[in-house]
Amino acid sequence: MPETIEMLNALTLFSNFVLIPGLAYGSQLALGALGVTLVFGILRFANFAHGDLMAFGTMVTILMTWWLQSLGVSISPLPTALIALPIGIIVTALFAVATDKAVFSFYRLKKSPPVILTIASIGVMFMMNAIVRFIIGPNDQRFYDGEKFLMKAREFKQLTGLDEGLSIRYTQVLTVVVALVVVIALFWFLQRSRTGKAMRAFSDNEDLALLSGINPDRVVLITWIIAAALATIAGVLYGMDKSFKPFTYFQLLLPIFAAAIVGGIGHPVGAVVGGYVVAFSEVMVTYAYKKVFVYVLPEDWQPEGLSQLLSTDYKFAVSFIILVVVLLIKPTGLFKGKVIK
Amino acid sequence: MRKTLLATATALALSASMTAMAASHSEAIKVGVILGFTGPIESLTPTMADSAELAFKEASESGALLDGKKIEAVRADTTCVDAAVASSAAERLVTSEKVVAMVGAACSGSSTAIATKVAAANGVAMISPSSTSPALTTVEDNGMFFRTAPSDARQGEVLAGIVIDRDIKEVAITYTNNDYGKGLAESFSTAYKAKGGKVAISAAHEDGKADYSAEVGALSASGAEELVVLGYLDQGGRGVIQASLDADAFSRFILADGMIGDSLIKNVDGSLNGTFGTLPGSESAGAKMFLDHAKANGIDGDGPYRAESYDAAALLVLAMQAGKSADRASIAKNIMSVANAPGEKILPGQIAKALKILAEGGEVDYDGASNVEFSEVGEAAGSYKEVEVAPKFNTMKVH
Amino acid sequence: MSKFRAPLVFLIMAGMLVFVGVYQSWSVSLSILGMCLISAVMALGVNIQWGYAGLFNAGVMGFTAIGGVAAVLVSYPPVKEAWSAGGGGIGISLLIMLVMSAIIYFSLKLLPKGKLRGLLIFIVLLLGLYVARQFFYPAVSSIESVDSAVSGFLGGMGLPILFSWIVGGVLAAAVAWAIGKVALGLRSDYLAIATLGISEIVIAVIKNEDWLTRGVKNVTGLKRPVPLEAELQQEEWFISLVSRFNESKLAAISDADAKAEMLRSLVIEGSGIFVKLCYAGLFAVVLLIVLALSIRALNSPWGRMMRAIRDNDEAASAMGKDIKKRHLQVFILGSAVIGIAGAMLTTLDGQLTPTSYQPLRFTFLVWVMVIVGGSGNNLGAVFGGFLIWFMWIEAEPIAIVLMSFVTSGMAETSALKSHLIESAPHLRLFLMGLLLLFVLRFSPKGILPEKVRHS
Repeated sequence: MPETIEMLNALTLFSNFVLIPGLAYGSQLALGALGVTLVFGILRFANFAHGDLMAFGTMVTILMTWWLQSLGVSISPLPTALIALPIGIIVTALFAVATDKAVFSFYRLKKSPPVILTIASIGVMFMMNAIVRFIIGPNDQRFYDGEKFLMKAREFKQLTGLDEGLSIRYTQVLTVVVALVVVIALFWFLQRSRTGKAMRAFSDNEDLALLSGINPDRVVLITWIIAAALATIAGVLYGMDKSFKPFTYFQLLLPIFAAAIVGGIGHPVGAVVGGYVVAFSEVMVTYAYKKVFVYVLPEDWQPEGLSQLLSTDYKFAVSFIILVVVLLIKPTGLFKGKVIK
Repeated sequence: MRKTLLATATALALSASMTAMAASHSEAIKVGVILGFTGPIESLTPTMADSAELAFKEASESGALLDGKKIEAVRADTTCVDAAVASSAAERLVTSEKVVAMVGAACSGSSTAIATKVAAANGVAMISPSSTSPALTTVEDNGMFFRTAPSDARQGEVLAGIVIDRDIKEVAITYTNNDYGKGLAESFSTAYKAKGGKVAISAAHEDGKADYSAEVGALSASGAEELVVLGYLDQGGRGVIQASLDADAFSRFILADGMIGDSLIKNVDGSLNGTFGTLPGSESAGAKMFLDHAKANGIDGDGPYRAESYDAAALLVLAMQAGKSADRASIAKNIMSVANAPGEKILPGQIAKALKILAEGGEVDYDGASNVEFSEVGEAAGSYKEVEVAPKFNTMKVH
Repeated sequence: MSKFRAPLVFLIMAGMLVFVGVYQSWSVSLSILGMCLISAVMALGVNIQWGYAGLFNAGVMGFTAIGGVAAVLVSYPPVKEAWSAGGGGIGISLLIMLVMSAIIYFSLKLLPKGKLRGLLIFIVLLLGLYVARQFFYPAVSSIESVDSAVSGFLGGMGLPILFSWIVGGVLAAAVAWAIGKVALGLRSDYLAIATLGISEIVIAVIKNEDWLTRGVKNVTGLKRPVPLEAELQQEEWFISLVSRFNESKLAAISDADAKAEMLRSLVIEGSGIFVKLCYAGLFAVVLLIVLALSIRALNSPWGRMMRAIRDNDEAASAMGKDIKKRHLQVFILGSAVIGIAGAMLTTLDGQLTPTSYQPLRFTFLVWVMVIVGGSGNNLGAVFGGFLIWFMWIEAEPIAIVLMSFVTSGMAETSALKSHLIESAPHLRLFLMGLLLLFVLRFSPKGILPEKVRHS
């Protein structure tokens, strides 16, 4: 039936250019936003240094990967970076905890208003920015050495006989799978484990949690370890999928914040949803639907122009427009997050 | 609090005394290398500076420069984005370090600020290796601003001609969202349309951003079969190409100078065969010689604006020798004469030879790595090579 | 002690500038001073919002850029071809938008709340946008095709650029009013992130609306409020001024040629210093006016009320103070001051380069100034502006010296050595972060803390 084919073509086209890239990018943002939201929910401040923490974690992982590669270690078709990742996480966690001890704990003990911690995080951001460039330099680094394509667009065309191709990269699959595993593990941890429950209790009501005998230092420690792990994983996944450059990671901070707030800051489910909302809206609002319409609509209905909602010039602004709209209509985000007072 | 101030003062005192010390025991001629070492193009600039300093090293080691003088390069950071920092840094080079000339700046904004506020004001020549903005042609520079990178206006026309000659009637364009990309995109599409081509979509991409799949989606949906990429080969431009190949949106690309270099082929996964574009320069042996020469000195010469940086530095050195003086005004006056005919052609690695010719009263015409030839306002007039990937960039023709 | 603290730190600051003047050069010192003054105005603007009212505005970059756009719109000569090509279309579409807004405004005022009203507004909005587009896009494309390599935008009004300082303030205030209306309901971190996002949107508009701002193609060659150095060097009166200033120096040289050469270099040096002094004088006037007004405002009943709202908004609200209105007021005032500084900055640069507006430089660095200087204290903010800008520029030579000191024992060919020296520029960010954390830890109210009055 020709119509089904047309529909399948349209669907493939949409998947290739919108669905799959959006899913991968959304997963990367979601992991970043989870870290931001966790720090916000439990330590109660917006951590502006999170983007640079991601860069730091990725940097350590890259250095480890290079070392492993020089030793000839390989787990092909999977990338070597996956073995290096745990070490990256450990080093980054140590680094994050040390930062907390050196900077943030002082204000927490003094019960400073959250804004002071946010400002301190700006200072940390400046310093981490410099440290990363100091160690690995400002250049672009590529460290993905695994197999590239799971499905090539041309192979897909031959396989299915459709006009449109569908390409799936291993990094995209890896991103989505790892993100899924991490999110499930995190939720299990927060819902089921003793420490997780303690963390949630601490997040809901600090005083009450303290009264019921929860050790705040432990909660803080675990929070930083998890945040560092999330940052490293997000950074490494992103770096494998595209490439690592310190400047880009600083730029990632803004969409990550947008994702966390859109979802409802301090709310883990919200962070994940927010990540996908931001990623998909960036891709969908600026996608030109002309070709899709060509397949789907009858001839007379077909549009003249590109059927683009917004020119790609404004792509970067899309996440902020969503952010502002959400803040105006529903300041607590899609899922009820905290409202800081 | 007082500790902070004390520490600041100590650091300053230290810096000043060290500068004074450094100044006292070196007789070297100081030349500034002022580029955006931090900020958006921080990944390009270190190698550009290395390339420039390679030319200085050659001159110093030759022993022929002004009877055996040495050149000391002084680096300064413009941050690329902040005109105020750029002019302060240039001010420091010129009035405190007393440099006699400058290589730089890299970004057009910084170049404009330095040209009008520092170079013109103090009569210090500067040669930018990478500012391509057409606006710089008419900048109020008092004759002090030169560039080895050609203005974008002409390249767009040449590229459009090549595309039409290859019988490509419809293209999509993506450009990096700055003055280089946008200027080039406009000059290209004007010329292309005038020659009967059709631009299906012209969309910007921002460098250093997270993801380029949205751009590629829009570009491919335009229905054009060919994509013109006007950007940088280690920035968003490569991101767009990679995303296009990954999604099988485009299989070959039309590129301008910022995108062309073997590192693009090395760093993109997938085949770029059939990709073509324009690169300033003629089919001179110069470009090739520069690559070999740089490699012998541990520098990867293959990348944007590295050859131009080397040439800018070489021109300054030769201008000193031609005027027989490291005086600022004399350098500025002699840049044109060493860059253009008449005289013996000079290629990369031959600085020592050129210095000797000049010392003996001869004349040189520096061609260098990027085939330098200045127009009367001190800009590379530029012929362009048409290059094509098969599977490395090969020169097809000169326009 | 506290009485002498402010004069003392300013004296030290002046000392540091003199130090740079003597050991580096007066040109460097004065060019730093000019930017210090602008930074101080910017920091004052942020201090009005943060120090007086506790509003965390992370959109400083946006207001700075709006001030910069004002400088172009005021001083650039109008591009006649562009006006005749598309000025009418732009005008008509703006008129349609205005009518549309008026209809919506009145229907919100006059009609009862309900589905019908919503529907009406929606239809008017859609229709208005559709009709406006019909005029807007053709006009934009014809404007942008007017000599696009050198112009391609409407240009400005061709007035002296000094007017733009006021216009920049007014424009920034207008935008702040709109942003404040929608975002000020949010508190602390939320407001910060919202304003950060909005400032990115502002930059995106400036970058992409070429017909208005020339976008990323930059506007260069803005008129200067002070003479050009190269012209000054030819002026008779200036040369005689310089020779009178350096009479003894010149008299010591007997050889006529050497004397002329000496005079020439003195004139070149002098012209740079003279121009920078002119700029610094202009900026200092603005800074003093803004500072005087700020100090008066802070000590007035209005200032006391603002601080009361900042320190305990519930109590202030119970006292019958309209907090939302006051916040909006202070947000507009602060943003206007930032806008003025933005226009001054573009005037000094002589060009508008929209790609140069990066949050790290134009938002976070200004914040460092306010926090380090002393929030809530106007003099503190001014000092912060001075100190941080000074460090921002001087960090580079310090870093280079530091690095060559650290690496002095290493071999010439050592890879580590060249890596460290190449990384020196990045120390600047490190120093800024360190300074911020240091002050926040050991003097959390800044170097010049807010005076707590008990009266």
